[in-house]
Amino acid sequence: MTASILDGIVLGFQFGLLAAGLTLVYGLGGVLHLAYGQMAVISAMVVLFTLDAGVPVVPAVGIGLIAGGLLGLILDLTILRPVYRLQGEARVLLSLLLTLGVAFVVDGFLNWRYPLVGLSLHVGGGPVELLGVPMRRGSLVASGVTLASFLMLFGFLRGTALGRAVRSVIEDEEGARLVGIDPRRMLRIILVMSGVLAAIVAVTRSMVAPVTVTAGFSITVFALIVTVVGGLGSVSGALLAGIILGVVNSIAASYIGTFLSLIILLAAAALTIVLRPAGLLGVRE
Amino acid sequence: MLDVRGLSAGYQGNDVVHDVSIHVDDGEAVMIIGSNGAGKTTLFRAMCGLLASSAGEVSFQGNDLTGMATHQLVRLGLGFVPAERHLFPRMTVKEHLALGAYPGRPDSDTMNVVLDVFPRLAERRSQRAGTMSGGEQQMLAMARALMARPRLLVLDEPTTGLAPKLAHEAYEALDAMRREGLTILVAEQQVPLAMAFSDRGYVLEDGVISIEGTSEALAADPRVRGAYLGIA
Repeated sequence: MTASILDGIVLGFQFGLLAAGLTLVYGLGGVLHLAYGQMAVISAMVVLFTLDAGVPVVPAVGIGLIAGGLLGLILDLTILRPVYRLQGEARVLLSLLLTLGVAFVVDGFLNWRYPLVGLSLHVGGGPVELLGVPMRRGSLVASGVTLASFLMLFGFLRGTALGRAVRSVIEDEEGARLVGIDPRRMLRIILVMSGVLAAIVAVTRSMVAPVTVTAGFSITVFALIVTVVGGLGSVSGALLAGIILGVVNSIAASYIGTFLSLIILLAAAALTIVLRPAGLLGVRE
Repeated sequence: MLDVRGLSAGYQGNDVVHDVSIHVDDGEAVMIIGSNGAGKTTLFRAMCGLLASSAGEVSFQGNDLTGMATHQLVRLGLGFVPAERHLFPRMTVKEHLALGAYPGRPDSDTMNVVLDVFPRLAERRSQRAGTMSGGEQQMLAMARALMARPRLLVLDEPTTGLAPKLAHEAYEALDAMRREGLTILVAEQQVPLAMAFSDRGYVLEDGVISIEGTSEALAADPRVRGAYLGIA
């Protein structure tokens, strides 16, 4: 049981970080980013090919993170341009359709060109004992990196003028305009950040299990579920929901079966919508 | 300072305000009065770039504002406090004041002046806007706009939803800001308050400026007395 819970927390940090990126993009700009998992996969492939080219791990990961950020920027400058011209529901729908299109194209290309390729980063050394459970070093390093990323994200949002500006757009876009903030610029910054977050998740995930070219959609689906449970626009909600769902997923997988764990996660999300439509820490409209 | 010429604007191709021309000179306090639905909010939103205008020009201190985005005019020195206030519900008073000075840092002189005008905000620095009363929220909206050190402050019905005592307090705060040298344009339904406060005024009826003049002249005008002051 302890082992399942610890595994679940490790997974939960990653779920949380995934959802943080998605929830910020949605909360800030009403853009539902369904190519999010593909951004993570492309970043993982960039790390893989950089490693294959003989570059050491740390700079290769750095290049992967930059690639993630660039992907966000490219999306902002190209496919999302027509989306920004729309408002409200139309914006959500068009962003959903266009990013879904991107996701299909990326998935199709990767499957055709690089089938059966996956990134696995091996963290050396034997298992480390934690609460009487032997934990793989990879899991611990992954959790450390994910938590550090969360702390940096919170620090940015709470402690910097730019982070405050980002939050103000989530709170009230017109209010933000009235204090001289350009919401478009904030959204661009957040899309770049979400790309970097997706890359961090891809890299840390690969320390625990291989990230394959086909992982994109399942990453997006997990991120969506966690986002809904955590509350749209809430980063702390994403972390909390990530941990809860990570533990639920891991216990369900070891006691009921992996095939049912996704259904149990979906049920948890559906239950949240019924009981708390705004999510755990979301704001009620 | 502000010059609006022949402005027409509305929603979905239907103009709500037609060919409106108003001006505000440096140091003045000017009011726009009119009943609910006369187009005061539409006029202000079009002036401030929150709504596209279908005709006309707006210039502010020699800058042509037509087609300019709201966040740009704020940086030129035009502050706008909308009737719905548009505060950030989960953010604290302190954060609002810091954001008001965006992208610069809030300087302590401005902060002191603002907290002098709104002493209650000083006591509630760590309170979230969403948990404040209507009167406090109005004060916070004004304080946030002042942190940008605007030259002209435009307020849309600052007394909306306020009890009479708080409405008075809001205008006392506006008086204090005037003494600091701020130019003010205010739209108001509570005409007596605005009239005592302002130098000049315009009457907006069905989207058209029907009467204009000094506040004394308007107060004496039988049409204004009948329709807006409740004196037959």
